[in-house]
Amino acid sequence: MAEVGKIRIKLPQGIKKGEVIPVKALITHPMETGLRKDKAGKPIPAYYINDVKVYYGNDLVSSMEWTIAISADPFMTFYVKADKAAPLKIVYKDNKGGTFEDTVQINPQ
Amino acid sequence: MKENIGLSRREFIKATGAACAAFLMAGTLPGLVKPTSAAEAEEKIGDVLKRHFGDRKIETGHVDIKAPIIAENGAVVPITVTSDLPMEKDNYVKKIYIYAEGNIQPYVASSNLTPANGKAELALRIKMRKTSNVRAVFETSTGKLYEGIKSVKVTIGGCGG
Amino acid sequence: MIKRALGGLIALLLIAGAISVITPQNSIAGEIQEYTPNISAEEYEKRYNEFYGDATKKMAEEGNPAEMLLDDGKALFQKVDGSKGKSCASCHGQNGEKLKGAATTYPKYNAGIKGIITLPVQINRCRENQMGAKPWKYDTPDIVAVELFVKSLSNGMPIKISIDGPAKPFYEAGKKMYYTRLGQWNWNCAICHIKYSGHKTRANILSTNRHHADHWPTYRMAWQSTGTIQRRIINDCIKNMRVDKLPEYESEDIRNLEFYLTYQANGLPIQVPGLRF
Repeated sequence: MAEVGKIRIKLPQGIKKGEVIPVKALITHPMETGLRKDKAGKPIPAYYINDVKVYYGNDLVSSMEWTIAISADPFMTFYVKADKAAPLKIVYKDNKGGTFEDTVQINPQ
Repeated sequence: MKENIGLSRREFIKATGAACAAFLMAGTLPGLVKPTSAAEAEEKIGDVLKRHFGDRKIETGHVDIKAPIIAENGAVVPITVTSDLPMEKDNYVKKIYIYAEGNIQPYVASSNLTPANGKAELALRIKMRKTSNVRAVFETSTGKLYEGIKSVKVTIGGCGG
Repeated sequence: MIKRALGGLIALLLIAGAISVITPQNSIAGEIQEYTPNISAEEYEKRYNEFYGDATKKMAEEGNPAEMLLDDGKALFQKVDGSKGKSCASCHGQNGEKLKGAATTYPKYNAGIKGIITLPVQINRCRENQMGAKPWKYDTPDIVAVELFVKSLSNGMPIKISIDGPAKPFYEAGKKMYYTRLGQWNWNCAICHIKYSGHKTRANILSTNRHHADHWPTYRMAWQSTGTIQRRIINDCIKNMRVDKLPEYESEDIRNLEFYLTYQANGLPIQVPGLRF
């Protein structure tokens, strides 16, 4: 996976208004711990996502702090209450200043 | 004598040395090699909990951890932490903490929640250095702390791992 | 003098031991002695499910990082490249419509190369001959992505490899490879994946070759990336057998081996991208 920061967000089908729905999100990222060495014996510098924020409409619904112990190409599932038609945005930030974000629209029936 | 067996002393040492090395290597499990560079940063789970919660009382119950009993690859261990605690306007889980006790730095992640989440549950794939407990602490908006613990066995794979 | 002679004898014994460990046994004389599994297929399924359950299946359904590469593959499929101003899509349909089911018969015998052609080799031949584009290096992200996309067009369709006619000798050659003992360990593929499949090796259960070829390209958590069946064979299996010189990607032996192995999965539906530990 050559490219860093590609995001895929999955929502369930046929969301009903007021339903609590799982949101599954994947992002490509090496999540280097800084504890490994390359073939030449040089330490590979730490490179990992440490901050994740979830916005639903204008509200910040969740904010996470991640450490090096999250696996490469991180995957997560969290929940939101689908009580309005609004975009859901996830913003990932890494320790080297990279910011990656993606948005999906939640349209409850 | 060495002419008789058709090998120089150097070749002999090479051949037997390689064989010895092969046997020695077979006995060395990669998981047992401790990354020395990070030894000074090593933290104990007790110290982390102290740092995060001070002397506050942590009760058991209301927290469930789903994780494989045996993880084939410590680099990717799928875990789900969940709770039956309410997610109402004035009484909700405001923060989830996740720890892998055997890691050099046991603190894995935390998540601030709001009632808009509707359910206090989080699934992540985490790295585990060795067989140990996964611990989750749920902090409620009313100031209570609940924890759950589950042991996960991390194996060193044969050829698959 | 006696001491020296004794020393020499010990050295000789040691060398004999050392050489038998190091020398690869590259040939099998005469007919292949085929193995049969030590346990029944039912017993294998039972042990496998008890040990692994459906963990990877569940993880793949929830989120497989290889899905991102699948998207790249589709984009590359539609991208014009090379001197003739064409893309894969120019011949095979915008979304690869004309390739639906095509992957189920790969690898297969090809009269043009007088041997077994795998999907990546076919992709590179298309690039060179039809598009006037440079062939890709095997097992690099671009070619894996396109292979993944083309295979995904046959998802759910059963693998149907034909080993009849001119393909037969290459199947036999692949089978011979499967039974050829290699490396310091002096193993062959069949000892682990036929004879002792379902038994433990360290902390794993040895898998059966029936299920080895139906899910590639696969995201392997141990690699933290998506790769081909040939990466698994060369860089994991053969390397673990401690062979000093690893075979090249898409070399004749490896293509024949992939042909043999894919035939073992005949009838199983293609399921890509896979997700494995």
